[in-house]
Amino acid sequence: MAKTRIKAKEKKGVVTVKTLSKHPMLSYVEAKRAKKEVNFITHFMAEANGKVVYEVSTSQFLSKDPYMKFKFTGAKKGDEITITWVDLKGNKDVSTKKIR
Amino acid sequence: MLERRKFLGLSVLAFGVATAPVNLSAVNFRETKPNLWKATKVDDAIKELFGTTTATKGKIKLKAPDIAENGAVIPVSFETDLKASKIAVFQDANPESAVAVFDIPDNAIIDYGIRIKMAETGTVTVVAQENGKLYKVSKLVKVTIGGCGG
Repeated sequence: MAKTRIKAKEKKGVVTVKTLSKHPMLSYVEAKRAKKEVNFITHFMAEANGKVVYEVSTSQFLSKDPYMKFKFTGAKKGDEITITWVDLKGNKDVSTKKIR
Repeated sequence: MLERRKFLGLSVLAFGVATAPVNLSAVNFRETKPNLWKATKVDDAIKELFGTTTATKGKIKLKAPDIAENGAVIPVSFETDLKASKIAVFQDANPESAVAVFDIPDNAIIDYGIRIKMAETGTVTVVAQENGKLYKVSKLVKVTIGGCGG
C-alpha cells in the first residue's frame, strides 16, 4: 500500500526528491488528548541503485503527514528511488518511483 | 626403527568476509541512542548524540519562519557545504528536544527540508558534525497559537 507520494527529478546530475508520507504522527501529548495511541514515523530512508541516499531517524515532532525534501547525486533519469519508513508500531511502508 | 610421520596439510580457510560496504545496514538512531529521544534540554540531547556540546557557530544555512502562524506545520530547511556525517535538528518548545537525526550518505547534497511541530515559541537548532567537530546554528521561531498571524 503506497502511502507515500514521491516526486523525484534529475537536473544536471542532482536529483531533488520531495516526499509526502501519509501518517498521523501523534506525539505523546497529542495522543493523550485525542485518546489515541501514540504513533509516529521513527526511521525514514531512501535508496537508489542499491545505495542509501537519504536517511533520517525522526521523533514525534515532525508534522502530520510529514513532508521531506532532499537532494543527492549518483542517479539518473529512469532510475528508481525507493522510500522505506517504519513507525513506532512497526508498520513499514515501501514506495517506489522513477526519477524523471 | 623407522617411523613414518604423516603430515597433515592443513588448509586454512580464509573466510572471505564480504568487505563490500553494507550500504543497506542503515543506522537507526532510535535504537543506537535511546536516551537522545528522551532528553528534555537541547544541550543534553546534543551531548547524548555527539558526546560534547562544544560547537562552532555558523557554516550552516538554516531557513525557518520568523513567525509561524500554525505551530503544527513549521517548514525548516537547511543547507551546508560541510562534509558532515551527521546532522541533527532540535527545538526547545516541546517536551523533548530531538526532532530528527540525519545520517548523511556519501553522495548526498545537504539541502534538506522538513516540517516540524512546535507547541509554543522556541528556538530551532541544527547541529552538524564534520570530522568530529560540531557546527551549530539556531533560530527563534515565534508561534502564534490560534491567532490570525501578524
